[in-house]
Amino acid sequence: MTIAVLRFPGTNNENDILRALSSIEGANPVLVPSRKGLAGLEKADAIVIPGGFSYGDYLRAGAVASVETITEGVRDLAEDGKPIIGICNGFQILTEMGLLPGVLLPNKSARFVCKWVYLRVSGHSTVFTRGMEGSVIRLPIAHAEGNYHCDEDERESLNNEFRVPFRYCNEAGEVDIAHNPNGSIDNIAGIINQKGNILGLMPHPERASRQVLGSIDGITILENFVRAII
Amino acid sequence: MITKEEMEHAKSVLGREPTETELGMLDVLWSEHCSYKSSKRWFYLFKTKGDRVALGIGEGAGLVDIGDGYLAGVAMESHNHPSQIDPYNGAATGVGGIIRDVISQGCKAVGLMNCLRFGHPSKPHNAYLLENVVRGISEYGNSVGIPVVGGELEFDASYDENCLVNVVCVGWVKPEEVVRSHAKTPGHHLVMFGSTTGRDGIAGVSFASETFSDEEEENRGAVQIGDPLSKKIVIDTLQELIEEKLLDGLQDFGGGGMTSAAGELARAGGTGVEIDLDKVPLREADMKPSEIVISESQERMLAIVAPEKLDRVLLLLEKNGTPYGVIGKVTNDGHYTAKWYGEVKARLPISLLVDGFPVPERVEGKIVVQTESMSWFNEPKDYKENLLKMLGSPNICDRSWVYSQYDQHVQSNTVVDIGENSGVLEFPNGRKLAFTSDCNSFWCLLDPQQGTANSACESLRNLVAMGATPIFIADCLNFGNPERPESYGQFVESVRGLGRFSNDFDIPIVGGNVSLYNEAEVDGEIKRINPTPQIMIAGIFEKGFTPIRRNLVSPWANIFLIGDTLTELNGSEYQLLTTGQVKGIPPKYKPEVEKRSMRVIQEAHQKGLIRSCNNVGRGGVAVALMKMALRSKYGFKLNLEYIPGTANSLAQRLYSETSGRYLAEVNESNQSEFLEIVEKHGASVCELGLTIKEPVADFGVFSLDMKEAREAFTNGLIQFME
Repeated sequence: MTIAVLRFPGTNNENDILRALSSIEGANPVLVPSRKGLAGLEKADAIVIPGGFSYGDYLRAGAVASVETITEGVRDLAEDGKPIIGICNGFQILTEMGLLPGVLLPNKSARFVCKWVYLRVSGHSTVFTRGMEGSVIRLPIAHAEGNYHCDEDERESLNNEFRVPFRYCNEAGEVDIAHNPNGSIDNIAGIINQKGNILGLMPHPERASRQVLGSIDGITILENFVRAII
Repeated sequence: MITKEEMEHAKSVLGREPTETELGMLDVLWSEHCSYKSSKRWFYLFKTKGDRVALGIGEGAGLVDIGDGYLAGVAMESHNHPSQIDPYNGAATGVGGIIRDVISQGCKAVGLMNCLRFGHPSKPHNAYLLENVVRGISEYGNSVGIPVVGGELEFDASYDENCLVNVVCVGWVKPEEVVRSHAKTPGHHLVMFGSTTGRDGIAGVSFASETFSDEEEENRGAVQIGDPLSKKIVIDTLQELIEEKLLDGLQDFGGGGMTSAAGELARAGGTGVEIDLDKVPLREADMKPSEIVISESQERMLAIVAPEKLDRVLLLLEKNGTPYGVIGKVTNDGHYTAKWYGEVKARLPISLLVDGFPVPERVEGKIVVQTESMSWFNEPKDYKENLLKMLGSPNICDRSWVYSQYDQHVQSNTVVDIGENSGVLEFPNGRKLAFTSDCNSFWCLLDPQQGTANSACESLRNLVAMGATPIFIADCLNFGNPERPESYGQFVESVRGLGRFSNDFDIPIVGGNVSLYNEAEVDGEIKRINPTPQIMIAGIFEKGFTPIRRNLVSPWANIFLIGDTLTELNGSEYQLLTTGQVKGIPPKYKPEVEKRSMRVIQEAHQKGLIRSCNNVGRGGVAVALMKMALRSKYGFKLNLEYIPGTANSLAQRLYSETSGRYLAEVNESNQSEFLEIVEKHGASVCELGLTIKEPVADFGVFSLDMKEAREAFTNGLIQFME
């Protein structure tokens, strides 16, 4: 199963993703530089848009990348129901493209924030969170624009349709304002689209993929992603 | 600027007046920053060789064998002057420059560190500098995708006019992929790529080699502007060029721009260079040849390419969309020739240009003699309040405001985050390496030699406490104007201290940098920084060893103090806090005592006897203990009545900064084996007390609730920054 790992100029988490996916049976991750355009996605069964600073985050995080030719191919695969994950800058690109609702504003602190956070996984299953429903997991974050925001209607449908698989919480799993690292509404750390095949999240599952890094909670998300293709 | 004597020397060698372009070139390469003309003569004092050393001081990065066919690379540098003028860009390009040094050796860059000095953060301008230096490092390093794994921060009024920004980059390379910084073969092409050349950073090194005056505003053009996106593209491009073995030499454009980059390649290869300045891709069309040759625009690399490989190199550069130019050739005439549309604008012998400067006379002034007097010392009226103040002091308190702005996890190799004794990274051969840096500038002010050696001991203990074996040193020596004897005396004494340490502990120095002229004229008086020799040491863990952290791990374990506690409070944080100044003879450097404690900890770690461990440093035993408890679930209950050594009051025992000491948490069942090891190595030891379930720091005579302590610790810096 071929997974296209996109690299825009300035993307910098592509190798981390490739390494994490390579450790999962059945996954065949391939690096696809964005300059390859639509041809780069011909064989793709799934897509990861990794974190980083595509086009230096000039203009607005993810804005320039979201209008590259290759994104038309991403839209086609999205429509076909193929699984797509956008992590950090990848999440920002997916919202800029309109494949996921809302925007990621600058952090409330107005500063970049890097730290380990706890996430409450929604009790309602998604293809990305099978087997993790209701649990508390630990992943690192690293972003300057992770403050998720959307209008009231969107917020209602996200909540009513159980499309918020991850929320920031404390160690005990309580979703409280004290453990919201960036000001995002309802402590939202990640969302899925209506069809359920696209996940965008700010925390980095690939950075919690080996025991030596302090957590393997992230690899479960990536394993679910790979299983969704098969 | 070039001195009269240097000008005369240049004229007599050339037999003519230098041209405008040549004068600019000599000015930058003969600056202190590029030439090390005041400092180099002392480097013989350093231990530089070792079994693991594959490439020592002299090129972009030092390279050290870490086993299984891998070398670790390291470079360390200052970007002080630019950061004082333009903190955001100055710090960002400091990071950019140090990454270039490491990748120009063929390394993949995997970690960054930064060591910072500012005036007290309660002054708004100092807080502004800190805020923007951190933002500069953060936005640049995060964008390029290299994790920050360590750092260090100290505040003192001596840095009010001269903040210090020292940066470290570490990387790795396989021996067969090392690229050397030389141009050996006449006829090879000089290919520059990465970015265009503009007017930023014109003669930045000359400005960094002078004392600050009132004309700071005029120097703004001497600060370079960073471009992390271009740097990321350079890194990706370079990786392709190196994998295909297309480069026969490589040098980055750093201080001194093209003059330095091409000059050093020719010098190392014993050749010459001929450059067509009109072929350099420019950012500003109307630049003069004399500007192009010394511009320090960022993100540029200079490659030496054999004729048969040129097409492939250009194809890869084209494909990656990076600006490039084939700007000249390697020659066999031993000269640096720079042409502008065919007209020769400069023609200087490499031997004159690169290190042909007349060695300046420097006078080593005497260091002011300090006394052992402790007449200033008083016990605190309220021990608890005093300890809370210590925890909140800017030089001790929580630094997470700084390091939470750095991406510490990108590349997914970070085993231990910042906030511990050292940051730890996993390398591709599966080995873990720890990185730490230290400098206590108060000790170095009072006794530059002992202070430097003892600062190095702190770095050493940071590594040993975690279970790592130190393998190499990189340093960055920050001092005042070498033309003043008292300042030069500090520098030379400090180099002696570092030389002694490196030989005593048999750890080679493989990289470094010297930054002089860190002083300013304030109301007609010269104000100089504290001597600040930053000493970064890397350590390696045995295969399969899990780094030991300092957070207390379990209740009902014994806490041991290893090493004697002497009446050494001169130069301490306690002295600064209670009297507002530091004076007297600082803690002494005692290599044999230090080694005894080190061996105890090393052997106990090998046998897995220690649960958590901390180095005793600034703030003494009290602060070291609190740092073990503040981020753990547990507290401790102690009895400090019997502690080996001469310290004879509670405050002396709590806050003495005697070196060679560690704190170790040892389970009851391992206690006898641990004590046998202590005895075997002849170190002193005492059991301070026990860890407890309650989050309380109980020192016997007084106690502290952990919540209160945490609050003081956390707010120490944030109160000035939010």
